[in-house]
Amino acid sequence: MRYSIFHTSRIGARRTNQDRLGYWRTSAALLMVVADGMGGHLHGELAAELAVEHCAGAFRRSARPRLADPGAFLLHALAGGHAAIVRRAAELGLAETPRTTAVACVVQDGTAYWSHVGDSRLYLVREGRLLARTRDHTPVQRLIDAGRIREEAVPSHPDRNKLLQCLGGDPPPKLEPANSASLTKNDIVLLCSDGLWGPLTPSQLLTGLLARDLERAVHGLVELAETRSGPECDNVSVLALSWGEDEVPAARAQTYQEPPTVAQDFTATEPDFLRTSDAEIDRAIAEIKAALRKHSRNP
Amino acid sequence: MPAQANQPLPEGYQLLNYRLMRVLASGGFSFVYLAHDENDTPVAVKEYLPSSLALRVNGSAAPLVSDENLPTFRYGMKCFFEEGRALARLMHPNVVRVLNFFRANETVYMVMRYERGRTLQAHIQEHRGALGEPWMQRTFVALLNGLREVHSNKLLHLDIKPANIYLRNDGTPLLLDFGAARQTLSHEGVRLPPMYTRGFASPEQHAQRSNLGPWSDIYSVGASMYACLAAAAPQPANARLQQDRLIPAREAWAGKYSDTLLELIDRCLRLDYLERPQSVFELQKALLAGRRPAPPRHVAFLAQAKRALLRLARRAH
Repeated sequence: MRYSIFHTSRIGARRTNQDRLGYWRTSAALLMVVADGMGGHLHGELAAELAVEHCAGAFRRSARPRLADPGAFLLHALAGGHAAIVRRAAELGLAETPRTTAVACVVQDGTAYWSHVGDSRLYLVREGRLLARTRDHTPVQRLIDAGRIREEAVPSHPDRNKLLQCLGGDPPPKLEPANSASLTKNDIVLLCSDGLWGPLTPSQLLTGLLARDLERAVHGLVELAETRSGPECDNVSVLALSWGEDEVPAARAQTYQEPPTVAQDFTATEPDFLRTSDAEIDRAIAEIKAALRKHSRNP
Repeated sequence: MPAQANQPLPEGYQLLNYRLMRVLASGGFSFVYLAHDENDTPVAVKEYLPSSLALRVNGSAAPLVSDENLPTFRYGMKCFFEEGRALARLMHPNVVRVLNFFRANETVYMVMRYERGRTLQAHIQEHRGALGEPWMQRTFVALLNGLREVHSNKLLHLDIKPANIYLRNDGTPLLLDFGAARQTLSHEGVRLPPMYTRGFASPEQHAQRSNLGPWSDIYSVGASMYACLAAAAPQPANARLQQDRLIPAREAWAGKYSDTLLELIDRCLRLDYLERPQSVFELQKALLAGRRPAPPRHVAFLAQAKRALLRLARRAH
């Protein structure tokens, strides 16, 4: 596996840095994790540290040197991180369980797999275009998804710091199945806390990554985030990977995968034919139902 | 926006009289759910949801479709109707059975009979090149029965590939996913956007669609058989037209399978459609001709012994 990684974590204008990050590798697999301990709750940094440590421990145990199922590994690692936090809180007799967000990514066989809890994010960028990004577990993301507010309005939204899910929270987080994408040369996988993406507009983040040198790009982004948030600046943490290999050709991939069905010229048609009225849709459905009735007399 | 992963409807969601249990499959154009109808009969529900045009996000069953994308979204719906129309007329044990078709959540759904099993793609993944000749013959001859039914209804499937071939738990195959199927005679069908899969689509599907015919599906059947042996898709037809680097099955697996089978696969994969078997029937006949003529000796001995015993028994009566 050929890749380069850069990371940085800055305290911003806070008294403590409650972000934790790290990456671990074997000859065949790579794990990257960023966790953002929650300041509103006590011992946020403890939760972040436990989450990252737990993922690292699980990786060291399971990656020999490959992970059998990277998607399942991520879910187990994050769920285990949550359990570790709850356990430690009980041992220490803490009145409130410390909480943290987490985003974790495994790269194996030229494919990136990721999962997350909360509002720490993963961006997958190819040639300056956003290929994928995690969707925050926040009320604000729900508003965006429902089309009620625009992405740009997030920094000023009163609920911007609220989370729907976190590690250490009650009820425990509902983990979503891991996403995955196959990487191609020069793809960038960026994991970050909200201290980075919060103050930046989506296009600032993408243009910032266009710089030829990933290290300089990452530092440029962190500085821009710090400048834009001023005296309010949160901890800013970034872990970025630049992939150095061509896409694994399908025939040589570990599992047999078929190319997907594609549609040709989906839009290149005269506008008249494109238009489909509700009445036409209903008519088509009625036709199909009639055909079904006619042909299924003997079910 | 680049294609984003769409969210499926949640488990337990009540869609008319169907209760969704889990996602069976998802692709660029749709989700397929396992659901139970009001009698608790399992069914497969396919939801039209092209991820590049319609985005389902938290909490809302109806996908978001921008005004800009709406015409294209509806246009794609026509392909979904075409699939429904095609399948509604087909009743065959080797073709997926459609049970219902309806509109909800501002999109459309097709309900199919649920079959236990897995795709040929998954089967190849597991066996990786270890599929024996008798298995190949049995499976493809049965599958071709289904394809014959499709063709005799003046339809072409146009997207035959291991991912669209389903194997029931008893091993019998089933043709799935008629999303690319076109009525050869319908005007509308011809104008809909062509859909295909690289590696499995015939040269006519890349260029010269006026030459489409049963031989185009036969090319895809050949490519699927090739994939069973190679555990990889063959070189795409349009690339072969430039520079043909496909290693003939006859060379690649000589000695491991009968010449009859290997030659037949190569014949299905000819770039010139006139050189391929011209009908499914012709292909089936050729496949069956490759069946090993003489049974192994110990079976013949047992058969002889059985016949001798029967003769003795008859004489005793």
